[in-house]
Amino acid sequence: MSILTAFTLKQNRQLLWELTLREIRQRYKQSVLGYFWVILSPALQMVVMSFVFSFVFKLADVGVPYSIFLFSGLLPWTLFSTSLQAATGSLVSNAGLIRKIYFPREILVLSNILAKNIDFFLSTTVFIAMMFIFRIPVTFHVFWVIPILLIQNLLTYGIGLMLSAFNLFYRDIQYLINLILLLWMYLTPIMYSVSIFPEKYRWIFRFNPMAIFVNAYREVVLSGGWPNFTSLGLALFLSLVLLGVGFKIFKKLEGQFADVV
Amino acid sequence: MSSKQPAITARNLSKLFRSQKQKTFKEMLPALIGKGKKGVMDSFWALREVSFEIAKGESFAIIGPNGSGKSTLLKILAGVTQQTQGEFVVNGRIAPLLELGAGFHPDMTGRENIYLNSIILGSTKEETKKIIEDIIDFSEIREFIDQPVKNYSSGMYVRLAFAVAIHTQFDILLADEVLAVGDEKFQKKCLAKMEEFKARGKTIVLVTHNTKTVKEFCQRALYLRYGKEISCGEAEEVAARYLEDMA
Repeated sequence: MSILTAFTLKQNRQLLWELTLREIRQRYKQSVLGYFWVILSPALQMVVMSFVFSFVFKLADVGVPYSIFLFSGLLPWTLFSTSLQAATGSLVSNAGLIRKIYFPREILVLSNILAKNIDFFLSTTVFIAMMFIFRIPVTFHVFWVIPILLIQNLLTYGIGLMLSAFNLFYRDIQYLINLILLLWMYLTPIMYSVSIFPEKYRWIFRFNPMAIFVNAYREVVLSGGWPNFTSLGLALFLSLVLLGVGFKIFKKLEGQFADVV
Repeated sequence: MSSKQPAITARNLSKLFRSQKQKTFKEMLPALIGKGKKGVMDSFWALREVSFEIAKGESFAIIGPNGSGKSTLLKILAGVTQQTQGEFVVNGRIAPLLELGAGFHPDMTGRENIYLNSIILGSTKEETKKIIEDIIDFSEIREFIDQPVKNYSSGMYVRLAFAVAIHTQFDILLADEVLAVGDEKFQKKCLAKMEEFKARGKTIVLVTHNTKTVKEFCQRALYLRYGKEISCGEAEEVAARYLEDMA
């Protein structure tokens, strides 16, 4: 069973897509604003946090308007945290399917991550509008976002595979991950820039792949420069290792999923 | 039957269910690498060294009282759960009718659910497009097909699910008590469909309590009790033995 089977077989691809659609459809049924919430909630979060950090705490100058600085980190972080939470719960929430029909189970994890990526693309519309409003110059370097986003998703998928499988055996995982994500967020330069962080602790960011991604997004989108390839290479390496290990654990436990779910 | 390759060959299939009650978090990691203390877990054998062969085109029944391991056996064959010991070989594409409508989503319409469920069962979207009219006809709920399935009655729900399941392409049908769905009229229709599959040379594996179905529909049967094989052979004889034990 290859790690790519979820994509190489046409039937698996279609299943992945149908499950992703189901994931999206079911979420905002019976709400007035429906899918508009996907755009609204990160935007409102950004507005509130901008207010707190630029008027109340008065953070040091970050080179661009603070709200756009914050948003550029908040969006990919939200993608990471929501997809990891969804991935962790993906097997438990599809217990009915797991008990009855066989298909490669990683498709459930993937479809949850994919659905959050679609949310992410929709919520970037507000960000793009803000880029125009604040007249931030954009260069071709902005296309680096694509490979960075891909590496970020590899990381999410790797961790998601492990956590979703463990969560079947111990539901503690889904509560634990919320706590870890909260701490992780503060250790990632989302609300602040690396430069205001005490120098002697800055090494944390070098080993925090999310910090590497956030810095890279900002570099290519807001500053129009090259991403730091050494850091990005390290993040890619780490993501691939986690994905390899995660997939191996997932497949080893897969035969027991139906018994414990 | 025939000298062709059998549809299913199973050798010494065993399934040990382990209960996690006594496992703690710190024992989980060693258990993953295979070094866990297996003795401390509650466990029981749901299936013990069951062997059989099902020929292509044969209708095969698995009977036994509740908790005898019938459904576990079917789940192993469907690939849903893994056997602890033993091995099996399946030749052909399987359609599992383990639980109907497992992938249905209440907020999606009947039509959307047909596509979703059909793909889950292993068809492609293109294949489904070709047969969707047949599925809707068979389910007899054409006027409600574009409504969310949460508004369906349980009978409509099961009929739709059954219709999707039997319209997938398959060589081997694994059915768990599904002949008991719907009202009398629909049950007759299902049975007629099963007869049709049989006539078309499909292999059918049926888990049931109903010895009448076994005698009328199946050629051979396997009788399980406490996970062990009691007898396996001619459907009539096996069903008679089962009835004798149950009396």
